[in-house]
Amino acid sequence: MLPNFSYVKADSVKVAIDQLSSKETRILAGGTDLLGCLREQIFSADKVVSISRIKELTGIGKTSDGGVRIGALTTITEVAESAIIKEFYPGLAQAASQVASPQLRNQGTIGGNICQKPRCWYYRGEFHCRRKGGEECFAFNGENQFHAIFGADSTCAMVQPSDTAPALMALGASARVAGRSDKKLVPLEKFYVLPSVNVLKETVLEPDEVVTEILLPKTDQGLRSSYRKVRARRSWDFALAGVALALSFKGDTIITDRVVLSGAAPVPWRSKPVEDAITGKKLDAATTSKAAEAAVKEAEPLELNSFKIDLFKGVIQEELEAISRQHG
Amino acid sequence: MATDSDDRKDRPTGGVSRRDFLTTVGAGAVVAATARGASAAPKGPEVVEAGKMMEVELQVNGRGYRLLVEPRWTLLFVLREKLGLMGPKPGCERGECGACTVLIDGIARYSCITLAVEAEDREITSLEGLMSGEDLGPVQQAFVEKDALQCGYCTSGQVVAVEALLRKTPNPSPDEIRTGCSGNLCRCGTYPNIFAAAGRAAELKSGKGGS
Amino acid sequence: MKFGEDKMYYLEGMDLPETPTPGVSPAPWKKTHAVGEPTLRVDAYQRVSGTAVYTSDVSSRDMLFGAILRCPHPNALVKSVDVSAAKKLPGVRAVITGDTPGVNLDWPYEWGSDKSKIFDPHCRFEGDEVAAVAADTPYLAADALRAIKVQYEVLPFVVDETKALDPKSPAVYDKNKRIAKKENYVRGDVAKGFAEADVVLEEEYNVSCQIHTPLELHGSVAKWDGDQLTIWDSTQGVFFVQEKVAQVLGMPLSKVRVIGHYMGGGFGSKLEPGKYTVIAAMLAKITGRPVKLLLTREETFLATGNRPPNHMKLKAGVKKDGTLTALDFSCLGTGGAFQSGGVQLVDWLIRDLYTCSNVRCESTDVYVNAGQTRPFRAPGHPQGAWALEQMMDALARAINMDPVELRLKNIPTFSQARNGNPPYTTTGLKECLEEGAKAFGWKEKRSKKAKSTDNGHIRTGIGMAAASWVVGGGGPPSTIVLKLFSDGSANLNMGASDIGTGTKTVMAMVVAEELGLELDKIQIENADTGTTQFATRSGGSKTIPTESPAVRAAAVEIKRQLLDMAAQDLKTDAAKLVIKDGMVFSSEDSAKKKKLTEISGFKNRRVLLGIGYRGPNPSGKTVIPFTAQFCEVKVNTKTGEMEIARFVAAHDSGRVMNRLTFENQVIGGVTMGIGLGATEGRILDRNQTGKLCNRNWHDYKLPTALDVPLNIESTPVDRPDSQANTTGAKGLGEPVTIPTAPALANAVYDAIGIRVTDTPMNPLQLCRLLAEKKRS
Repeated sequence: MLPNFSYVKADSVKVAIDQLSSKETRILAGGTDLLGCLREQIFSADKVVSISRIKELTGIGKTSDGGVRIGALTTITEVAESAIIKEFYPGLAQAASQVASPQLRNQGTIGGNICQKPRCWYYRGEFHCRRKGGEECFAFNGENQFHAIFGADSTCAMVQPSDTAPALMALGASARVAGRSDKKLVPLEKFYVLPSVNVLKETVLEPDEVVTEILLPKTDQGLRSSYRKVRARRSWDFALAGVALALSFKGDTIITDRVVLSGAAPVPWRSKPVEDAITGKKLDAATTSKAAEAAVKEAEPLELNSFKIDLFKGVIQEELEAISRQHG
Repeated sequence: MATDSDDRKDRPTGGVSRRDFLTTVGAGAVVAATARGASAAPKGPEVVEAGKMMEVELQVNGRGYRLLVEPRWTLLFVLREKLGLMGPKPGCERGECGACTVLIDGIARYSCITLAVEAEDREITSLEGLMSGEDLGPVQQAFVEKDALQCGYCTSGQVVAVEALLRKTPNPSPDEIRTGCSGNLCRCGTYPNIFAAAGRAAELKSGKGGS
Repeated sequence: MKFGEDKMYYLEGMDLPETPTPGVSPAPWKKTHAVGEPTLRVDAYQRVSGTAVYTSDVSSRDMLFGAILRCPHPNALVKSVDVSAAKKLPGVRAVITGDTPGVNLDWPYEWGSDKSKIFDPHCRFEGDEVAAVAADTPYLAADALRAIKVQYEVLPFVVDETKALDPKSPAVYDKNKRIAKKENYVRGDVAKGFAEADVVLEEEYNVSCQIHTPLELHGSVAKWDGDQLTIWDSTQGVFFVQEKVAQVLGMPLSKVRVIGHYMGGGFGSKLEPGKYTVIAAMLAKITGRPVKLLLTREETFLATGNRPPNHMKLKAGVKKDGTLTALDFSCLGTGGAFQSGGVQLVDWLIRDLYTCSNVRCESTDVYVNAGQTRPFRAPGHPQGAWALEQMMDALARAINMDPVELRLKNIPTFSQARNGNPPYTTTGLKECLEEGAKAFGWKEKRSKKAKSTDNGHIRTGIGMAAASWVVGGGGPPSTIVLKLFSDGSANLNMGASDIGTGTKTVMAMVVAEELGLELDKIQIENADTGTTQFATRSGGSKTIPTESPAVRAAAVEIKRQLLDMAAQDLKTDAAKLVIKDGMVFSSEDSAKKKKLTEISGFKNRRVLLGIGYRGPNPSGKTVIPFTAQFCEVKVNTKTGEMEIARFVAAHDSGRVMNRLTFENQVIGGVTMGIGLGATEGRILDRNQTGKLCNRNWHDYKLPTALDVPLNIESTPVDRPDSQANTTGAKGLGEPVTIPTAPALANAVYDAIGIRVTDTPMNPLQLCRLLAEKKRS
């Protein structure tokens, strides 16, 4: 049962930001993540600011530079079913369609999805872990089968749970952030914070800042994007391992590419080794196999999650082969 | 506390005297059924203090209800314990089972992770709202025909989820049905019968009543 | 309808079954009209309309909400509980702890002799009760729990059952009491058996702890009227809640009424009452108001039972002709912190499923600091089957025999493990194997598979497994009261709960069969200790074979009364009368007839009461159900994802009473088996805190709509068991869930050549095993 909090409905971004006065103030949009965190007392809220009725934060539309804007309150379902997204950014539509369950997709927003809190059972449980201000990360010596194989830096081994974030990052998206002082545009690439930088926050957002929209750049002809996710069961689950791809071809040669892994690290994990292995190459068997090997070369598995090394290899290879088949 | 809302003097109560209003709500019931949109209080950035109650107007199954709620009360709690609508069931209180599924503006959502205050001014439909008097709606009828239930506890949520699916996709494919049902757990494990019921409900809704 | 109107509710053109003379049990039905037909649930309307009142739905204006504070440590002493802040919170009406006068009563656990108190000062598992509150809303109750300050002395713990016997490990009780129970079984000489074998295989198997988590939370509503206590409880057996509450509170049975008209699933976890029921009653007494106390989902993971984790070793010998020569089995398990069946029946199928002269089983149940087990759909059997049925598959492969053939060669006609080797009344295992294989197309698929060169990265495999269930014949006691009203409609009064299996519907069908009534004219009143008669708990797959013969007996009793009364009117002998088309006829003189509603004794009395009792089971015989299941899976060898393409389940449960609810049970049991085999498993923080990691439905993964096949095909072996009881039915609910997981594992082996010995077969495990195989 939820503990007490004070509550205010904001009808504009400005009003919302004015209300974001203290560290204990939380923003409520879809509520699917926040209410669970409050119920379990992962953190407290003395005030909840509802932004769910702010009209300016909704909708998907083309921008003047040929890209696309997604309002932060756009639901995951709306993203998954948007004709524009499906046509130009299929990887994002695929990622959105695999988020959680239908009801959660109807309720959860894209802004909330990229800002969601870790799903690590130590973080979510009655454990005073480092990310909650405690002394230790329980995952390193504990039940770590679902945890990170990259980027934990002996600090926090949670995995960033979003499916849309890796897809957005692969597509070169940015988040518009509004704060007390001004608005800024943060590339998704720079949006997440590694535990070694600051274990107490997952994103660069300050307490008085809010994501208002996501901006996707214009896509080039020949850009192929996709998202593939493996999970322990087929609904509700976060990724055990996932891969977001955005590849541009010239003929059958890859000219630019971004590869971002989910279920891999405390942030959506851009895999430069995979990108390097395929840039300028044709997606033949040798290349896909090399790319898969490169993906996990630097992995640092924990006691129970070394299966993720083989899983990432498998899923990356499978996905690259699938793209190669479609492309060829 | 149900009677502790002295800070709310400045808010209109829509014609119901404050005393009556609180008495009825304090007893766990509804104030009054109102016409849709009758009270459009100006929405300012007014902070409701923790533990205090605020007035909300909910539109549930085609009827308007005004009542006092704590901001933290979920829609599920209010529907069940304040409005007496026991169709939506508690199962997990964290959006992981679907037994509490309701339609909000025609879309399936979990009422256990929706604050009642957030459901204001939206059309809420619970299982009860799919009935026509004492007669079952087509999805409910299909669940009966296909024996798509065992203990029946998740059934309310399953029915509402299928209703939502069919409103959006009147002739769903088997895969669309499975996906549409994938936000509702059934521990008795009747999923295949639920899929069959969804197919049957699509027929009933499109007027193909005969088998 | 006004009394005396010429209207009655008998089906026309229907011969009623013969009415035996008093003291003689009715003969098996020859041809049935109602029983066996696919029949919609009699309470489907209530369950789909939301009008069914589950315990969760019981509500009243003055009701308070209860909540329980539980120990967050696996082993700790409660040093002090400070409730002062909690008591001061607005809306908090009661706070109780072990120090509250009159509250800390003894709590006798269902099994064994381990003792506990309602609020035991020594908490031996995470989730042990420490305090409880009642408040105006569940939110305020939760606030109150958060305001209670407890000082614990945290003690060392053991939660890993594989370390519980290690002398260096902490002990739940003391160093000399690490074992809750040891069971040994021997027949023949396994050494001799292995010497005779052509092939001997040995393997270790592990089954993770599975948690019931029915959709309706465990909980009760308690209400006092003076010294009379009424409890609504989400239970599988109202009479056991009544007995336990009366026992603990020191009350006469007559003063405790327990109601459980509808309950939202139990699967064994609601066979026993919980402390929460008594706590709700105490809170209600102290506050003078009704109290609803529903556990949270997290509490149900911690403290309402589970299927124990089991670590098994099985060595088996077989001759080239398929003769099983020896089975040597050992098993370690845990019932948690209190003796409760950590190895119960795990070895049963090894002892009894197949013909084998030389069997040895050794089981050890150890204590750990975790929530105790409770019976879970076919206790022990799915675990034992996970070992035995994979071993049978491996043996068949080793001797190059069809695994169906191997099983057919070893079908017993009597129970080898029971004293005196009683024969089975019916043994449908052969039919299950043959009819299931036929429905699945087993032979064709096997030969096709042998020829195919499956070289993509998605591999297909087929597998099967078989099982029996140790009981499932039901038996006395059961008392049924059937009332026939003057218009021919009836009220069936039975104590048993319908936990979702369709019990009520089947019982109404039996009444309809015997009295020639329309189904919807039968009203059912059940699961209420105040208004119905004692019934055993709905569990053990015994409800239908227990209750249906008693219902039949009650209906027969009413027919006897009708015939006796008609005999007076018609001045003839009751033995010469028969009932047909709503009339009583003389078999000798067709002019002698009377409409049932015109029989003067009946007309005058306006109600006839038939009381039926469950007769004894056949002596010297064993009544058990059998099953064989077949499946096809696809395994993604790059990712370890498994998809179930097809599932066929053949079941011998005697007479199929209602084809519709029968098939539903099959679908449900298979789905639960899929959960055990592929998605579920409790995870404790073994190395650090001993706390439960996955205590919600995100982290603990039940199968979803996307994890089961679109169809689960049921192939009933519909053979009424005329020796078993007067309706010929045997149990179904539990056997279904037994062979599912090993059938899947055998199919996975067929697909990728990897013997998956541990549950769950999720991508975490399959991906690891596939990689290990690739590397070796």
